[in-house]
Amino acid sequence: MRKKIIHELHDMPKFVYVLAVLVVFGAIVGLYRLYAGLGATTNLSKAYPWGIWISFDLSTVALSGGAFTLAALVYVFHMHNLHAAVRPTVLAGLLGYSSVLIILFMDLGRWDRAYHFLIYPNVNSALFEVSWCIALYSSILVYELSPVLLENTRWKGFIPVLEKYTIPMVIAGVSLSTLHQSSLGTLFIVMSERLHPLWHSMLLPVFFLISSLASGLALIIAGASISRWVFKRSLPQNLIAKLGWFLPWVLGVYLVLKIGELEIVDELHLLFTSGKYSVLFLTEMVVGMIIPIAMFSSYRVRHDRTASMIAAFMVMFGVVLNRFDASWFAIQPLPGVDPYRPHWMEVAILVGVASGVFLAYTLIGRYFPLFEETMVVEDKKAVGETAVNPQLAPEMSVNK
Amino acid sequence: MSTHNTPGKYGFLIDVTHCIDCRACNVACSVQNNVSMDSTRIWMNGTGVVGDFPNLQSYTAPFHCMHCTDPSCVSACTVGALTRDHEGIVRYDDDRCIGCRYCIYACPFQVPNMDLNEQFPLIVKCDMCGDRLEEGEQPACAATCPPGAIQFGRREDMLAKAKQIITDHPDKFIQHVYGEHENGGTSTFYISPVPFEELGFPIPGSTSSAYYNRLVTHGTPAVFGAAAISLSGIYLTIKNVKEETAEEEARAAARAAVVQAAEGSAAEAAAAEAVETAGEEA
Repeated sequence: MRKKIIHELHDMPKFVYVLAVLVVFGAIVGLYRLYAGLGATTNLSKAYPWGIWISFDLSTVALSGGAFTLAALVYVFHMHNLHAAVRPTVLAGLLGYSSVLIILFMDLGRWDRAYHFLIYPNVNSALFEVSWCIALYSSILVYELSPVLLENTRWKGFIPVLEKYTIPMVIAGVSLSTLHQSSLGTLFIVMSERLHPLWHSMLLPVFFLISSLASGLALIIAGASISRWVFKRSLPQNLIAKLGWFLPWVLGVYLVLKIGELEIVDELHLLFTSGKYSVLFLTEMVVGMIIPIAMFSSYRVRHDRTASMIAAFMVMFGVVLNRFDASWFAIQPLPGVDPYRPHWMEVAILVGVASGVFLAYTLIGRYFPLFEETMVVEDKKAVGETAVNPQLAPEMSVNK
Repeated sequence: MSTHNTPGKYGFLIDVTHCIDCRACNVACSVQNNVSMDSTRIWMNGTGVVGDFPNLQSYTAPFHCMHCTDPSCVSACTVGALTRDHEGIVRYDDDRCIGCRYCIYACPFQVPNMDLNEQFPLIVKCDMCGDRLEEGEQPACAATCPPGAIQFGRREDMLAKAKQIITDHPDKFIQHVYGEHENGGTSTFYISPVPFEELGFPIPGSTSSAYYNRLVTHGTPAVFGAAAISLSGIYLTIKNVKEETAEEEARAAARAAVVQAAEGSAAEAAAAEAVETAGEEA
């Protein structure tokens, strides 16, 4: 047994050890943060009560939107040929949400009272909604992932029982996601005096929801390329092309709404007259929307692995930049106060948590049936097709 | 408009021309509420020294919670630690607060304060000296102010007085009562000889951001319901369409079988059977 463990450890890719070190370091700094308070370990202040942690939370939730987008496409819209992507994406979503919960806990001044959001509701508060939705949706992601975790254990008898409720659970999960993805945008509506007008809008919840669809789809595409490199497994290109086909539509709606809203509230001139804010906004639009729309519109790009990966990363960059803008870069400075810059400990905790996500993904991908197609779906033909997918099979055998 | 809240019972009237920057209010507040001077519930805003020598001037004014009629912080607070009571005082429950600091960003006047150097920090914020009010006394800052720049009384009296003073002295005052309409109306009124932005006062709109916030958050249950119902509908519709298509295909196959069977003479019974099984399958 001991020999086997040593052998396994020896066999691990080297970056796993780097990740493990970062996780341990982040955990130590995190414990110190809980002990010492926010003042000693962060650069948060009265002028900037939220910092890089909130930006990270918003970005991660947006990227994890892939899990609900795909679940909706596969189960609700019966696109069973996309099923092969479900397990890897649901795991990415679950780990993303877990990291958000850890960082939110770090962010609470009174972390000892974190449970208060369960017992003291304020139904007017967007943050109250978000906390509930994230807690409930994380549980649904655990449910959706449970077949992967149970399959090779003695509890695998529960899987058919669990799978009976897949459809209602997926619908509940997608509905909850619709809520909290948009509520994260609602958060900033009440901050009208601090957020730059290019970003502040009554349509913020709609913007956040639509952009999370885009970044979620992009994450699945980019993730397929990363897993090709790390696990020597990936999704077939025709499936990636199918996902990419949705992006020009989603991004197009997003772009039209954003520009249309600025036009309606008569703020279009701010696009070119707001200095660094204009640069940030235009970067979001050009890099994150216009170029990817052009790229994914092309049949050749959708069917080219490298090109679709680059375009997907641009979409993700645009959405992540949007979340950083809304919660940090586009917050108006107060007179006489230096702009916020994160403390190194804030960054260290963040790097630790993000490394934890990649570490957990690598290990689960190594020891659990993440990339296999065994989940029962109603359309048996789809399972048959994907299970013997000729593009998957040779890659699987390469993996050692 | 935009809110059903009635204006508060009490109000402050702060006359910037009378403030001499002695900070007795800061000390009184610090002592009364047992908070340190660094994270006090009241602080000074001012123009700094302005004008050309020898006509130099400096205006200052104490600033604390405005006690909005429709407070943004109350709308934002995750756990309902901030509330507006029946007298219109915006209060803070330090046993509930989870330290998320959303109220600090939500408040258009940048009022909620927090000493982040504490291991377990809490919000520091004016509560109009609620304990003193119950005993029939004025808030500590108003009771202390040596030049009488901070006056306290019934809200409508304070507002009427503010308007009276600025209309009586149009040469001395900006013709605007700060706090009457800011963020949907507040319980603290300022009159000043210089524009309020020069005093370093935030200039919020006349509708509370809490109103816009509620517009969206109150739609949440409806959005959830609509999402769940429409997703279920889409699921069932596509499922039924697929089943119907399969059924039709089976029927067509059966009909083809009938035609084929009719060509052979003794196969009528077999064809009927085929139709039956096809129907069952579908």
